[in-house]
Amino acid sequence: MENGKRPKNPLRKRVWRDLLRDWRRNLMIFLMLVVTIGFVSGMYVANHSMMTALDENASKFSREDGHFELSAQADDDLLAAIASGEKADMPAVFRARAYEEAEPEVEKAVREAAEEQVREQVRAAITEQVAQAVDAQLAKAGKALPAEQRQAMLDEALSAAMKENYDKAVQDALTETWKSDAYKDALAEAMQKAKDEIDDKINSEYDELAERYELDETFDAVPVDLYALFYKNAEERLPADSDYQGKIRIYGPRTAVDLYDILSGRAPENDREILIDRMHADNAGIQIGDRLMASGTEFEVVGLVSFTDYITLYESNTDTMFDALTFNVGMVTEEGFARLNRALHYNYAFRYQDPPADLYEEKTYSDHFLKALITQAAVAEKETEIKDYVPAYANHAITFAADDLGSDMAMGGVLLYILTAVLAFISAVTISSSLEKESSVIGTLRASGYTKGELVRYYMSMPLLTVLLAAIVGNVLGYTVFKEVVVGMYYNSYSLPTYTTLWTPEAFIRTTVIPLVLMLIINLVVILRTLRLSPLRFLRHDLKRTRRAKAVRLPRWRFFRRFRLRVFLQNLPNYLMLFVGISFVMLMLSMMVGMPSTLSYYQERMPDMMFAKEQVILSDYRDADGEIIRTETADAEPFSIYSLEYETGQMQEDISVYGLQPESRYIDIGSDPDAIWISQAFADKYHLHEGDSVKLSEKYENTDYTWEISGVYPYDASLAVFMQNDRLNTLFQRKDGAFSGYLTDTGITDIDETDIVSRITSDDMVKVAKQLDHSLGSYMEYFQYVCVIIAAIILYLLTKIIIEKNELPIAMAKILGYEDGEIARLYLIPTGIVVVLTSLISMFIGFEAMKVFWSVMLMKLGGYFAFIVKPEDFVKEFVLVLSAYLLITVFDWFRIKRIPKVLALKNAE
Amino acid sequence: MDEKTKAFLEVRGLKKSFGSGDTRQDVLRGLDFTVGKGEFCVLLGPSGSGKSTLLNILGGIDTADEGEILIDGDKLEDMNEKSLTRYRRKHLGYVFQMYNLIPNLNVKENIETGAYLSDNPLDIDDLLKTLGLFDHRYKLPNQLSGGQQQRVSIGRAIVKNPDILLCDEPTGALDYTTSKEILQLIEEVNQKYHNTVIMVTHNEAIRQMADHVIKLRDGVIRHDDRITDKKSAAELEW
Repeated sequence: MENGKRPKNPLRKRVWRDLLRDWRRNLMIFLMLVVTIGFVSGMYVANHSMMTALDENASKFSREDGHFELSAQADDDLLAAIASGEKADMPAVFRARAYEEAEPEVEKAVREAAEEQVREQVRAAITEQVAQAVDAQLAKAGKALPAEQRQAMLDEALSAAMKENYDKAVQDALTETWKSDAYKDALAEAMQKAKDEIDDKINSEYDELAERYELDETFDAVPVDLYALFYKNAEERLPADSDYQGKIRIYGPRTAVDLYDILSGRAPENDREILIDRMHADNAGIQIGDRLMASGTEFEVVGLVSFTDYITLYESNTDTMFDALTFNVGMVTEEGFARLNRALHYNYAFRYQDPPADLYEEKTYSDHFLKALITQAAVAEKETEIKDYVPAYANHAITFAADDLGSDMAMGGVLLYILTAVLAFISAVTISSSLEKESSVIGTLRASGYTKGELVRYYMSMPLLTVLLAAIVGNVLGYTVFKEVVVGMYYNSYSLPTYTTLWTPEAFIRTTVIPLVLMLIINLVVILRTLRLSPLRFLRHDLKRTRRAKAVRLPRWRFFRRFRLRVFLQNLPNYLMLFVGISFVMLMLSMMVGMPSTLSYYQERMPDMMFAKEQVILSDYRDADGEIIRTETADAEPFSIYSLEYETGQMQEDISVYGLQPESRYIDIGSDPDAIWISQAFADKYHLHEGDSVKLSEKYENTDYTWEISGVYPYDASLAVFMQNDRLNTLFQRKDGAFSGYLTDTGITDIDETDIVSRITSDDMVKVAKQLDHSLGSYMEYFQYVCVIIAAIILYLLTKIIIEKNELPIAMAKILGYEDGEIARLYLIPTGIVVVLTSLISMFIGFEAMKVFWSVMLMKLGGYFAFIVKPEDFVKEFVLVLSAYLLITVFDWFRIKRIPKVLALKNAE
Repeated sequence: MDEKTKAFLEVRGLKKSFGSGDTRQDVLRGLDFTVGKGEFCVLLGPSGSGKSTLLNILGGIDTADEGEILIDGDKLEDMNEKSLTRYRRKHLGYVFQMYNLIPNLNVKENIETGAYLSDNPLDIDDLLKTLGLFDHRYKLPNQLSGGQQQRVSIGRAIVKNPDILLCDEPTGALDYTTSKEILQLIEEVNQKYHNTVIMVTHNEAIRQMADHVIKLRDGVIRHDDRITDKKSAAELEW
């Protein structure tokens, strides 16, 4: 008997054939995975490369560790003192100064008092001597004069004596007094008393300041290098676009700190040239060679850059959102800077001489340096006020992009995992259906001695291979095509520098290893559950784990309805998958449709939402002459605005506190002098209600305010607190009758522009919505169609399984004489009903989930507007999914039509 | 002593029932018999007599409630699931009424699925010739007739040169001529490779080609006969 060689496992050959046999389904799963893995991989690569570029830029372009602005230019002594990073001994300096100031005054006072006393004593002595002499003279003459005559004689003699002796006597007495110990003691005592008073006063004032800024803490000096980085703010106008109105912050040449990455063009070479931020240039349509007017001064744009301290264009660190649409940053030559006729901002950047090891150390450094800065500014010879202090780690303009890039990555990862899980379940359902179909083959193989492990490996190979191939192709696309897409998205929001594409193991792990593991686990569970059954059960096609004694009893419906219900019950697991899949799509659609809709809703409605069309903010409520600034505008109403902070776990939220007139025509909170109302947006964002207490804090002080909420005012445009103006003035120690400006609907024209700081209109309020819309809006529409494609693919895969499972009964029904249309109705209508119901339910779930997601997102951003989906958006979501279903139904119709009758008459292979 | 008379397979007191309580049905009610090595044994009986259940228990894909089975001295009931799989892998070949071929593997590859299980399989080309399938070796199952498909399934079972070939109604779905061809093939395989063949059938005529006939009815053995004047498959008529 001839024996042969043991062949290689023939099932391996089958894996490839299976892949090809079911090429449509596998291609769909493959393509979906390729696109998702590609996109997420691109996102990781772009993120990683960009984050590395941002990190490296900190040292490459000498990014600041922080900056501060002073009210006046610091002299060399102050700069040296600040740069030392040492805390000034404020009480000692103040004391020495006060003593120095007090000494001559005290001495003068004591001297004057002593002199007065001496004069008094001399006068008394002379008077007494003269009286004695006059009385002695009268006694000698034996005359007794009437009192009046005696007094006249006395006055005459006193006057003569005073004239003759007083000055000399006083002079002599004073000479003696100045020499006397008594005078010295009195002087020392007075001096001590004055010093004690000074000490008490300084100590009590310092204690208050020390408590607020924890100035008593001892720490090592934090020496820094200081760089003057002065700037001027100007109105930006573009001769090429007369409608455009923006702002530009212009710096002088940057040579040592906060340098810039030139993305195109060059640095300015003469006083008429400027380089500006690339992102803003893109948004405003400014190109190299264009002219730009900065408060009337014309410049030619010669370069587009990314400033290392303005990766995100935040005008102020307290702004809710960056604004790359109307805020610009530029740099000119010294001469160009001098040409610009605007107020100077004395801004200084600093870098630690000993770079901090980590963020924790950086925060400690910053705390210590701020204390040094506060004390040094306080003891400065020239009165100097700190107007702004922003350490780099807390500077949104520097950190926001990196933070956002990070959260994008997390979100992309989650989407990939959800989609992979959905696909893994679809693949598992497909395999489960294959196991049923191939039940007798499996039974035979198991009966012949194939182990469970061998069959598990075989059935697992196809889904794993699909993921692996998709991961390879997806990663290649991720590194090439999709990386560019993602980078394009980022360049559309942030002023990012140039970057180099870097390989990241994280992208590989997250887009290849994790999807593979997900696919492995989900499929393994399903396959193992089935393959646990005995070979005999496979041979008997008996794969149900639970055997129903009887079929489910159905109501006495018409035959067709009952038949459809049976189809539904038979395919329950598939419909469950359909539900998960469509819910996933609907969640994404809620975001893709809802987000732009919410943003445009706010932009459109903002003018109506604002309680007054304009808030005119004055620099002071009195003009230069001390007169209260008034207006003839009929609807103008004085109001106050004050800024406090609401501390949350994640951030400090800016809250506007409004002081209003009783029964104000703009925000009527009645006339209760103690009422505290909050805006609807504030209530919604932090889940506050009437009766709750709310605690707000002063920004740079150690003062908190806790109020009970009297009511919620229906105002959605900002986070605000409303109270009577009188109460606001008392609370914040403002003068009686003080106010910040006027609320008006018609606009104010009769107030001198120099007295007006700003006019807040709806444009300012929609800044967040506009910027978000610009950054995300355009992609959302594109992703809406991606969602439809995903929905179509999921529907295709699942309905294919349902029809394949029923091929035999369908063929039999055809033999029995059912028409294709009737059969299609039997098998397609249950799916249609499931799709419609699932869409409706998941639309609701998607909306609710998005609301949660939205509020989490805004927690990080600051500001608030509720997530809104208009009725027509729900219709749109529904129609999008339904159109995907209708498309697939056409496929299914042809699929049913193609099933041959002979199938029912054939053996099972 | 002739190998065929020496007990290779021993069945003692084998019982099996399905269901419980009122619905309990005794399928095998205490069977005792032996089968010799290389013997062609036919299990005969009408539907429901328990012959397929007996075959499945012998094949290790079903279990008995009572009794024991010894194959070449090894007790089947002592084996756990893993050992049973190994036992099937090393010692058994299965042929079913339905051919259960893998649709997207060709004839040769389907046979290879059997060969893969053995460390010492038969030469596949040689076997294909024996099976009369050499010219069809690259065809897929759906390009073959029922008889040819059954040949492939026999090839798959026999290629690993099993000690026992279990056949469950292998001609049940075939016409007269094809059935005879298949029986001839099994006979040829039995003679050529000396495997013990246990075949379940309800076709009385097939008993004539067997060395050993066990007739079951209602779960008990009615006859257990050794045939001395057996006919060749070609001579059978029904």
